[in-house]
Amino acid sequence: MPLPVGTLPSWVGPVAHYMAHDGVPETLRIAAFAVTGSMIVGIVLGTLLTIRFLPLRSLIRLYIEIWRGLPIVITIFIVFYALPSAPLIHHRFSPFTGAALGLVLWGSAQVAEATRGAVQSIPREQHEAASALGFGWVGRHGSVILPQALRRLLPPLVGLLVNVLQNTTIASIIGVTELLATGQRSTERLAYSSGDSHALAIYGALMGAFFAISFPLTRLAIFLERRLV
Amino acid sequence: MTLLASLDWHFIREHIPEFARALKRTLEVAGIGIAGASAIGVVLGAVRAHRIPVLSQLAAVYVEVIRNTPILVQIFLLAYGLPQLPGHHIILQPFTVGWLSVTIWGGAFNTENFRAGFEAVPGRFREAGRALGFGRLGTFLNVTLPIGGRIALPSSINTYISVLKNTSLLTAVGYAELTNTGYSLESVTFKAPEIFFVLGATYLVVVWTLSILIRLLESRLALPEAR
Repeated sequence: MPLPVGTLPSWVGPVAHYMAHDGVPETLRIAAFAVTGSMIVGIVLGTLLTIRFLPLRSLIRLYIEIWRGLPIVITIFIVFYALPSAPLIHHRFSPFTGAALGLVLWGSAQVAEATRGAVQSIPREQHEAASALGFGWVGRHGSVILPQALRRLLPPLVGLLVNVLQNTTIASIIGVTELLATGQRSTERLAYSSGDSHALAIYGALMGAFFAISFPLTRLAIFLERRLV
Repeated sequence: MTLLASLDWHFIREHIPEFARALKRTLEVAGIGIAGASAIGVVLGAVRAHRIPVLSQLAAVYVEVIRNTPILVQIFLLAYGLPQLPGHHIILQPFTVGWLSVTIWGGAFNTENFRAGFEAVPGRFREAGRALGFGRLGTFLNVTLPIGGRIALPSSINTYISVLKNTSLLTAVGYAELTNTGYSLESVTFKAPEIFFVLGATYLVVVWTLSILIRLLESRLALPEAR
């Protein structure tokens, strides 16, 4: 896509092209991976958190408290640097997979907590009616409870999307060339070639880009919360 | 358990002083951030709740910009963008970038926390304050702040915990707090499991302790009718 560069300084064109063609798709890929993974893992764990079997519930609680308690950078460092030397694993992840898995661990803990609340908000009669119709635990939750709980879960899921998009920038720390990393490399390249990094303009533009995506989504989450809950 | 046994405990013991110094830096930056975020939150929360013209709109813009942009980009803007301001270049030390960025970030979230808290104070309480002869400021300080502040307490402490966790991102601008110290140590010793085990455990201890303290404080400071 040719960018309109008529009146802009000459450095803007190549930088914008690099960030739009390399950074944006990578950011969107991590975000898509992290949101999908967080939703699947989080909804399953959150639903299991409502059963009575204490040992399982405690394990899931521990999972949630650990990944919610750790800063996301630390989680990503653990997955990327420490996990490969753990016994039985011995597998090096690519920076992309490391960052995406780290975000899934954090995001799924958030979703699990929200799912627990949403599932528990469904009246007991719904469980009883589903049981009376012959549904087992899986059928009862999959066909009756979760579809109703989803309504309540939608606003936090939109909130998760906003947070995941913003937190994809942390992936730059382990060398993923997402949007922030492409901006950072551009400032370094410009500083080297012309002596001026244009950091103020580039990071300012990044703020603008993230705001333009996040702000409508945040509004949507607030709107959904008013409408659905 | 095999995981714990496989760690090089001698290495960990040897580096405890280094981790302790790094933790102190993390706590320093977080402490300033928490104090600053409280001050911003109370003042701008009051401005928002009382709809003071112009200031309230400016505060809303500040809150929305900070909440809808990644804190890591904010940190980069402070560290690398400010030195380029036309006219007067502002070059900040990593420590200054550190406490300033988490203060600005926490302040925005806290403004919302306190706004919600102050707005939850029933209007008749303020009327009662005015009837007792307090001025607007006196009513705020003696009625709205003590009651609304307590309503805002749980959400504001969650913001403080996030402020502490966000100090870990200062590793990206090279401030030698806990995460950065671990990261540098890893790049020379390759002891990743040991280092990130210590880092993870330290953050969890601090965060979990704060969470437990919140619960205690919450039950002590809860408004009588919420008990």
